[in-house]
Amino acid sequence: MSVLALERVSKRVRSGAHERVLLRDASLRLHAGELVAVWSVRDGGRCTMLRIAAGIEPLDSGVVSFAGKPLRGHAGELLGRGIGYCRAQLHSQEARAVLDELLVGQLARGVPRRLAQRRALEALERTGATGCAASEFGELDGAEAVRASLARALVLAPKLLVVEDPTRGVDLLARDEILALLRSLADDGGLAVLISVGETTALAGADRALSLSDGVLRGSAAPPLAPVLELRRRAGSAAGASA
Amino acid sequence: MGTGGAIDATNAHPAMRSQVNWAVLGLVIQRPSYGYELVQRFERLYGEAIELSSPSQIYTALDALVDRGMIETVPLEELEGGGGRQPKPHYRATADGASGYEQWLICQSQRERSRSRMFAQQLSALAPQAALRVLERWQGALLQQASAPAPRAGESAGADGDSANGLGERLVAEEDRLGIGARLEWIEYARSELLARTQRRPGA
Repeated sequence: MSVLALERVSKRVRSGAHERVLLRDASLRLHAGELVAVWSVRDGGRCTMLRIAAGIEPLDSGVVSFAGKPLRGHAGELLGRGIGYCRAQLHSQEARAVLDELLVGQLARGVPRRLAQRRALEALERTGATGCAASEFGELDGAEAVRASLARALVLAPKLLVVEDPTRGVDLLARDEILALLRSLADDGGLAVLISVGETTALAGADRALSLSDGVLRGSAAPPLAPVLELRRRAGSAAGASA
Repeated sequence: MGTGGAIDATNAHPAMRSQVNWAVLGLVIQRPSYGYELVQRFERLYGEAIELSSPSQIYTALDALVDRGMIETVPLEELEGGGGRQPKPHYRATADGASGYEQWLICQSQRERSRSRMFAQQLSALAPQAALRVLERWQGALLQQASAPAPRAGESAGADGDSANGLGERLVAEEDRLGIGARLEWIEYARSELLARTQRRPGA
């Protein structure tokens, strides 16, 4: 079953007298262990699409389902539980150390402090952000901020990770490490990972690369079907099997 | 020899057109080498792009390059360990060879450019709807190429030092990624133009 499914999703935004179509009957399926990247030019609608996928942004028509259930009405509950939404530029208003930032969400959900602390440290280690634990988000460089905000999403053990522009503001030589980290979250962590990118170079390593323009999502909307394996006949039963 | 640089080398002979010759010259510039090793490196690095009818083509290329003064054999006494029990002729690039190669590379990048321009012209000859279909197909292929995994830093295909820490692979991969990206962006632009021409741009 798909972790995330968008079916014929449409979204329009109005600015003044103009109306823009950001998504036109867009469909997308994402399985566990898959990394899918959506590229668009600036203001091409990729971030809106990701927010719709994460259940943050309302849609005009269509259905978004998480683990087989339509999101409508559940979105608020799922965000931070089944769905992790991550944006490096999303800083807390208060000046708080990264580690504390990772605790807040858990404590609010009733996780005991000691357990919350252990999970926070594990998440930071997983994303290679252990060294950022005591810093504030505002003090981190591009790649560190991405790693720390991925940890903030991971600490709540999501099944679907939606990451807005993970390579924006990241040093060119650090870019591939961030992409490799996202890849490993899908491969080793079994997460379904959906990312948006503004540079096509950040499509590398994704299972599927999609492009979004004029509201049309292009590329493979669904994972490829598993290859059909021909069953080997047992010696001696060949005649019977083929009859 | 070689007082006038690459110009002399190319004037003395008709322009060297063989892709194999240029590729072999590039390999020798990268590292002095002998025939058999060059065959192997050629096949590993260029096997996909240039199909050899026979390995002897490499030896023909070496002769042609020596003839043109672009490479020369390394004197036996300069070879490490005297070249072994049965010394093989090792080749190295001359200054003419190196500068000729540089100029050829510049020409190549310009040719690549004129090929792209030609494609754009040919596309614009089609009716907008047909051109949009061509773009659609091409974009699908490019999106698949764009998601090819990037080589990791420190990974090296050849243990023989063809690429220090996989640098060659990484540079090639980045060049590919940027090239694919530029085409994807160009397709978006071309599509906008074509849609505007069909006068039925939806949602507008």
